[in-house]
Amino acid sequence: MTFDVADLQNSAPLLLLTVAGLVLMLLDAFSRSKLVGAPYQKKMPAETSEAYPLPVAGSRGYLMPVTVLLLLGILAVVAWLPGQIHGDHGVFMYRDMLVLDRFGLLVSGICIVGAILGVMTAPAFLRAHGLEMGEYYALVMFSLAGMVILVMAADLVTVFLGVEIMSLGVYVLAGMWRKSQRSAEAAMKYFLVGAFVSGLLLYGIALVYGSVGTTLLSEIRSRAPVFASRPLFYIGWMLIFVSFLFKVAAVPFHMWAPDTYDGAPTPVSGFMMTGVKAAAFAGLYRLFAVTLGDSQNALQAYTGWVHAAYGIAILTMTLGNLAALHQESIKRMLAYSSIAHAGYLLIGLIAMAVVGDSARGPLLFYLAAYTVTVVGAMGVVGWLSRDLRGGERLTLDDWAGMGQRHPAGALAMTIFLLSLGGFPPTAGFFGKFYLFRVALEKPSLLPLVLIGIANSLISVYYYLRVITAMYFRAPAPSSEPASEPLSSTALSVGVLIAALLVLGLGLMPEWLANLCAAAN
Amino acid sequence: MDFLTALMTIGLNHFLVLGLVIFGIGIMGVFLRRNALITLMSIELMLNAGNLTLLSFARAQHDMRGQALAFLVIAVAAAEAAIGLAIVVGLFRNRKSTDLDELNLLRF
Repeated sequence: MTFDVADLQNSAPLLLLTVAGLVLMLLDAFSRSKLVGAPYQKKMPAETSEAYPLPVAGSRGYLMPVTVLLLLGILAVVAWLPGQIHGDHGVFMYRDMLVLDRFGLLVSGICIVGAILGVMTAPAFLRAHGLEMGEYYALVMFSLAGMVILVMAADLVTVFLGVEIMSLGVYVLAGMWRKSQRSAEAAMKYFLVGAFVSGLLLYGIALVYGSVGTTLLSEIRSRAPVFASRPLFYIGWMLIFVSFLFKVAAVPFHMWAPDTYDGAPTPVSGFMMTGVKAAAFAGLYRLFAVTLGDSQNALQAYTGWVHAAYGIAILTMTLGNLAALHQESIKRMLAYSSIAHAGYLLIGLIAMAVVGDSARGPLLFYLAAYTVTVVGAMGVVGWLSRDLRGGERLTLDDWAGMGQRHPAGALAMTIFLLSLGGFPPTAGFFGKFYLFRVALEKPSLLPLVLIGIANSLISVYYYLRVITAMYFRAPAPSSEPASEPLSSTALSVGVLIAALLVLGLGLMPEWLANLCAAAN
Repeated sequence: MDFLTALMTIGLNHFLVLGLVIFGIGIMGVFLRRNALITLMSIELMLNAGNLTLLSFARAQHDMRGQALAFLVIAVAAAEAAIGLAIVVGLFRNRKSTDLDELNLLRF
């Protein structure tokens, strides 16, 4: 057994993320443990109309800047590593368990940028709700490490480990709001579905391993034409496919998603909707578009995953959008809209298999645009929806007149919603434009694209509904105290950066599009 | 008689069928039982069925990769059980029950 020192350099993002997570845990353990302020009292001041004072940055206030700096450093390493790849095929590491290529690095970069923006918007929310715990930052790091393993996976073993390490962190994050029944329920649902899915994934991997005799994706690909007719191989891939559809919350495997995204603490929901989804799509890409895909491969006709994905993409877009139409809670509306976006992303995956490698760029661009937009939107939701008496105020009625009460937040929310709906000049417009354009190269995908465009039109209704409520409706006359936006520099800066990125990608999409197209 | 001897000689297929049966019991448990703890146990059964299948294939093919993956799965399953139990405890503290049918705060 040999060990190559170059592996350490090539897997640096993964190692650094793990070490950074451990360092943050130690910093937290050695911080003074006293957390002061009303939210940390045992009982909430239930029926008072007075706002309790927002606690000042406690002894853990410094963890957020430290985390952001660490993540920026790791992002720099991720940006430097492509120079170390010579040739077209990527570098294999750890006895072919992981592969370093531009695709993996770009998706890792997307996940890390999403996490940076999420971490910047989180502390004010966490502090206001009595959740300021150092574990949050450590768990984000560990979860990111799992995502990096998944997007770099070159073997079914690392696929399984990546999915699990990513999910274990997020299970805990979803339930970290321990006083909230909704958060406990969200974590329970997410955990049960996630653990069930890992059982399916493992059994599928075992069947594929049994029928082909290897877990290496590259060897499975070369042997697949011979083994494609074996039922075990077919059933194994089906189980793996279903478990990834659960992870990206595609209809009909989506029932956990609205509840979990709705009940989890808002910054965590943003992280789940973006990082987990991006990494799971990268896994789908590696397993299906690369290992099984390729229109010359006789296998594809047999496994038929493209046909299954075709139907599931249509279902996911349509049902996600229809369910979002009548949501009164903005957070829950965004949860359903994230299901619909998984449908658009599936179009990109199908195009990868049907059209070929030219679809990779649009898929990656869509992931990047979606990540920046959703993290920003969830940041604003956490920002503006703080209830003076604890909890959140998320309904459209609560947000009526937000344009007057908090112009900056309302403007940022408008930008993010327009991007989600696909209006120019935002990142979301070019994401959809590139994706639909590449899918149109094959006539067989025309119905899919038409349904996608129809769905984007439907989605405009519920995005605009929030915008009209914010700007053109008077706040409902009520005796209850209004929500009080959080005031935090880091949060405003995080949302500002996200908004600038969304607008910047909408005005100058070429540089990222070129980067994505070159990410083989 | 030949059929009986074939049935009595334990081979790969016996292990695979046992794995499938345990996997089926696990899935049924997840769908039919409404107690969070029993659902957790059923999920552990599913993971163990996957492990058994992996190990039987690895033994039949004289390949170590399956054995290595089974080790990793055992570690992951332990971590998952710890987190799952913690979430169940958190849920129980909030509402004094671990019945999954009562998880209905988050609805349309």
